[in-house]
Amino acid sequence: MPDNETITLELFRYHPETDSEPRFQSYEVPYDEDWVVLDAINWIKDYVDGSVTHRWSCRMGVCGSCGMMVNGEPKLTCAAFLKNYYPFPIKVEPLVNFPVERDLVVDMEGFMDKLQDVKPYIIRDDVNDTSQGEYRQSPAELAQYKQYSMCINCMLCYAACPVVGHEDEFLGPAALALGHRYNKDSRDQGQSERLEVMLSSEAMWGCTFVGECSVVCPKHVDPAGAIQQAKAMGAQEYFKRFVMPKGAGATKGAGA
Amino acid sequence: MSAGGRPTRPSGEAFWWALFSAGGVMAAIFVPAFIVVTGFLLPSGDAAAAAAAAQRLAAIAGWWPVKLVLLGVITLSLFHCAHRIRHTLMDFGMRRHAGLLKLPCYGGALAGSVWLALVLWGI
Repeated sequence: MPDNETITLELFRYHPETDSEPRFQSYEVPYDEDWVVLDAINWIKDYVDGSVTHRWSCRMGVCGSCGMMVNGEPKLTCAAFLKNYYPFPIKVEPLVNFPVERDLVVDMEGFMDKLQDVKPYIIRDDVNDTSQGEYRQSPAELAQYKQYSMCINCMLCYAACPVVGHEDEFLGPAALALGHRYNKDSRDQGQSERLEVMLSSEAMWGCTFVGECSVVCPKHVDPAGAIQQAKAMGAQEYFKRFVMPKGAGATKGAGA
Repeated sequence: MSAGGRPTRPSGEAFWWALFSAGGVMAAIFVPAFIVVTGFLLPSGDAAAAAAAAQRLAAIAGWWPVKLVLLGVITLSLFHCAHRIRHTLMDFGMRRHAGLLKLPCYGGALAGSVWLALVLWGI
């Protein structure tokens, strides 16, 4: 193909300090079939308009920073090849369901709060001294949660989920999958603490089984599956509270 | 409240989800099998054979353990359906009325279950 071919990128622009409302700005970018959307945005920033604001880091689908809406779909822009859209224009917007900070950058604070709410760390009643060695785990025990530990917090699942956009209390796919990851960890004893948060009101039950979170996940974490398993765990916990004395129904970790 | 300030009041949603989940298993496994057996396999052949099959089925359904199985399978399937409809309506913009939607959805499933129980009682 000729070297002078170009492709149009329509970037969402919004500077809250100066703009009363968002707008789209078109840029002609050299077309290279090896380029991804992130390369094109970086080229615009480097050579055409330094005021374009976007987040990125690793360029290889590991850091989870460059998630944006590409032609209306949540994508890691480092994995969205121009050749899959060429010769048509590509519209790039910030991830939906998040407040926009500037241009293609969204405010992650609410998301980070939700991650913290599920206590994403190993909780133990007793902590062994390091001289006693590590907490050992079999390959089968590792397999219970490994898939859910692959999340890179790219937030594509939050942009894909219709519930996230309508229900503030909903913890959302990534946070629920992360909570479930620790609940399934044989070294953990904090399941009851986590379920206390996950079981409440719309935190988990707000999920309406749409499943888009698992469709868009670039790391194949399957948050929808995690949520369904967490719901089954939560339902067991709910009924246990009726048949067992207060406190005794609280389930310890999978390995406890 | 959780450390992050999130309310931790328990939710009755677990109860409805449990019915939904149990009903999903029933609807996925037993209902198709019932339809194949009673709708296609037994009534195959001519009209007389179909009529004979219907009589045999009515006799089987008159047996108490079978009545209980039918009641369980169909009731749970109805609650599965009710929960699915309620959440679909919530996705279509009725999330603010999530509590109110319980009445027509689960109430409908309950009414269907009572009607079914009366029908089974009369067989």
